Amino acid sequence: MEFTALFLAVTIVMLVAWRGSRPLALMLYAAVLIACVATYLHHATDTLKLSF
Amino acid sequence: MTSTRAITLNALSLYGLALLLTAAFAAQFALHELPCPLCLLQRILFATLAIGPILNIRFGPRPSHYAASLLAAVAGAVVSTRKVLLHIMPGDAGYGSALLGYHYYTWALLGFIAAIVLLAGLLLFDRQFEDDTTHPTAPSGFAQGAVWLVIGLTVLNVASTLLECGFAACADNPTVYELLKH
Repeated sequence: MEFTALFLAVTIVMLVAWRGSRPLALMLYAAVLIACVATYLHHATDTLKLSF
Repeated sequence: MTSTRAITLNALSLYGLALLLTAAFAAQFALHELPCPLCLLQRILFATLAIGPILNIRFGPRPSHYAASLLAAVAGAVVSTRKVLLHIMPGDAGYGSALLGYHYYTWALLGFIAAIVLLAGLLLFDRQFEDDTTHPTAPSGFAQGAVWLVIGLTVLNVASTLLECGFAACADNPTVYELLKH
């Protein structure tokens, strides 16, 4: 569900960048990037099977 | 490099991203390989990468627009590296099938690294920023086509991700489209 929401959010940012104001597009872009990083941190919980 | 030439290169980069998103769709539907959560996040970050070029085409080239894409590319490279490391141990078959010897997440990592290098290369040309960008000229049909193509492919990804994950959290190893299950 969160990935659908992120794709939808990116689509909205693209449309704002193309049709809307620049400051709003950059602000929404920042919000989407932060959401992506948060989603990554939420999913990157499995221990890496590495041996050094 | 003039502003006009930079905008053409930005439009070309959008066509490149569109090709990449189309290839991901082709693998998903032709090979019936559903993208995992980290794979979906890589696709999202490829789409996020397109926001900088769209802003450049609309408002004229600015360093902040390139910076936006650079940040998305770095985030994408981190996610791809994580996926590569999950399957790096000898004997691990990896996730999904391989293309020319590399899995899609390895290609994604190479793609994000290439994007970082290309964006840094484009930032070397100062003249593109010297042109008057307060009144940018109307985008060409070539550039407009690139923008709408990438937006259209991102909308298709909204639909396919909704079909795959439904209204719950996406499965770690998805095998069926949740909304098409009987």
